[in-house]
Amino acid sequence: MSETLVIETHEVSVTPTPHTASEPSGASNPGRLQGLLEASLVWIALLGAWFAAAEYLPLGANPLIPSPAVTARALWESLPELWVGTLSSFSILVPGYLLATVLGIASGLSIGSSPRLQRAFLPFARVAAPVPPTVFIPYAIALLPSFKLSAIFVVFIGAFWPIFQNAAAGAHALEQRYRDNASILGLSGFEFQRRVVFPAALPHIFSGMAVGLGFSFILLTVAELFGANAGLGRFVQYYADFADYPKMVAGILYTGLITFLAMTGLEAIKRRALFWQR
Amino acid sequence: MSHGLNLQGVDFSYDNSRILSGIELSIPAGQFVTLLGASGSGKSTLLRLIAGLQFPERGRLAWNGQPIAGPGLERGVVFQDYALFPWMSVVDNIAIAIGKARPATAKAARIAEAKDYLNKVGLDSTIGKYPFELSGGMRQRAAIARALALGSPLLLMDEPFGALDPVNRAKLQDLVLEIWEAGSGNNAPKKTVVFVTHDVDEALYLGDRVVILGSTPGRVIADLAVEFSRHRDRRTLFTSDAFHELRESISETLAADTLQQLVAA
Repeated sequence: MSETLVIETHEVSVTPTPHTASEPSGASNPGRLQGLLEASLVWIALLGAWFAAAEYLPLGANPLIPSPAVTARALWESLPELWVGTLSSFSILVPGYLLATVLGIASGLSIGSSPRLQRAFLPFARVAAPVPPTVFIPYAIALLPSFKLSAIFVVFIGAFWPIFQNAAAGAHALEQRYRDNASILGLSGFEFQRRVVFPAALPHIFSGMAVGLGFSFILLTVAELFGANAGLGRFVQYYADFADYPKMVAGILYTGLITFLAMTGLEAIKRRALFWQR
Repeated sequence: MSHGLNLQGVDFSYDNSRILSGIELSIPAGQFVTLLGASGSGKSTLLRLIAGLQFPERGRLAWNGQPIAGPGLERGVVFQDYALFPWMSVVDNIAIAIGKARPATAKAARIAEAKDYLNKVGLDSTIGKYPFELSGGMRQRAAIARALALGSPLLLMDEPFGALDPVNRAKLQDLVLEIWEAGSGNNAPKKTVVFVTHDVDEALYLGDRVVILGSTPGRVIADLAVEFSRHRDRRTLFTSDAFHELRESISETLAADTLQQLVAA
C-alpha cells in the first residue's frame, strides 16, 4: 500500500449524568408546568365539590359533610390530641415495622439464596402469608399481656410477609453474572450475603418495605379501634361515637398526611440507598 | 504436563443437547491462546469450565497439574458484560479482589494498591467514581485491573471487548498484550491467557495460537500456530500476505462450519 493510514486517537472520556433526565429542563418547559396544573385540577375539583356539598346540600344541624371551614377549625383545635395520638401510634408502628424489616430481610435473603431452604419453607409461606393479619387481632389481644404488645405483633405480621417474600425473590433473582464474579473472588457465606446478595436485592427489598409500611398503617389503625386509649385510629373511632363529624374528617385528613409523609420518607431513603442504579 | 492448562476428553451437555464433545487441549504456561468460533460453538461454556464455574459431564481439566474443582484466584476471569459490582465504587471493586488474593494486606493498603492498578490501566480519573459513571470501555479496563489485582497466572477472557467500539477495542487489546508480557512483574514468567472471540482479526493480532471450535457439538476443528513476531503493528500486520493467507484459511474453516450448521438445521 502506498498510502499510510493515519489514525488519530484520543481517549474520549464519557461521564454520563448519574440520573437520567426524564423531563426536559429549562424555563420554557410547558410540559412540566402543564403537568402540575393538571395534577392540581384533581385537588381543586375535590375541594370545590366539598365546598359545594357543605353549602348546598340540606344536611341539617349536624351535617354528615362538615364545611371546610368547620373542619379546619376542628383540625386546629385537635392538634395537641392528634400529636399525642401520633406518638402513640408510632410507638406501635416503629417497633413492629422495624422488627419485620430486620427479620424479613434476614430470613428472606437466606432462604431465597438456598434452593433447599426454599423447598422447605416456601410452601408454608404460601399458606401463611395471605392470612389477613386483622383476624389475629382479637386472639393477640387475648394472648399477649398488653394491648400495645398485641398491636405490635399484628403490625409485625402484616409487614413481615411482604418484606420477607420480596427479599427472598430478590435473593433468588440474583443475576448470574454477580454470582459468577462472587465465585471467582471466593466470596461465600455471610460475606457473600452482605457484600453481594443484600445490595443486589435492595430494589426488591424496598418494594416489600413500601407494601409492608402500607399494611402496617392499616393494621395499626384497625387494632387501635379494638383497644387503644390513644392513637390515630382511636381518634377517629372516639369522635364517631359522639357523631362529631368535623373531628372525624379532621382526623382522617391528618392521618392521610402522616401516612403520606411516612411513605415519602421511605421513598427518599430508597433513592439514597439505590443511588448506583442508573 | 505439569505446567499450564490441560484438558482431556471434556464433554458437556445442557438440556439434552451436546454443547462440547471430546475437547482435548494442552496449553503450556505463558502461551496466549485465542479461542475462535461461531456463536453456539460452546467457547464461552469451555471458558466457564476452565474457570470452574461449571463442571464437565466427562473428562478432566487441570491447571499446573491440579484438577480444576471450582473457581480459584489463580484463574482470573474477565467477562464480556460487567465484572464490577455496581453498588461498590471502582476502587472498592478492585480492593475486594486484593483483599481476597492477599488477605494479610491492611485495609488502607488495599485501597492504595487498588488505585495503583487503576493507574496502570489508565483509569486514574475514575478514582472515587462508581461503575455507572463510567463508559463501557472504562468499565472493561476496570475489569482488567481487577483481574490484574487478583494476580492470577491464568487469565480467562470471554469476548471482553465485544461490546466496544473499534478504537477502544484496539487500545484494550494492546493493554492485554502489555499485561500478558509483563507477567507478574520483576522478571516473572508471562501469564497464560485464554481469550475467547469471534473476531478473526483480533484472534490473529493477539494470539500465539488460534484454536477453532466448530459448532454443535463444540469440538476442536483447527489448532494453528500464529507465528508473526511480537510487538505486532496493526498496519504492517493487516497488510501482510502471510496474515491474509492465515485469515482466509481460518475464515474458510469457520464458513464451512456455519454452512454445515445451516444444512443440518
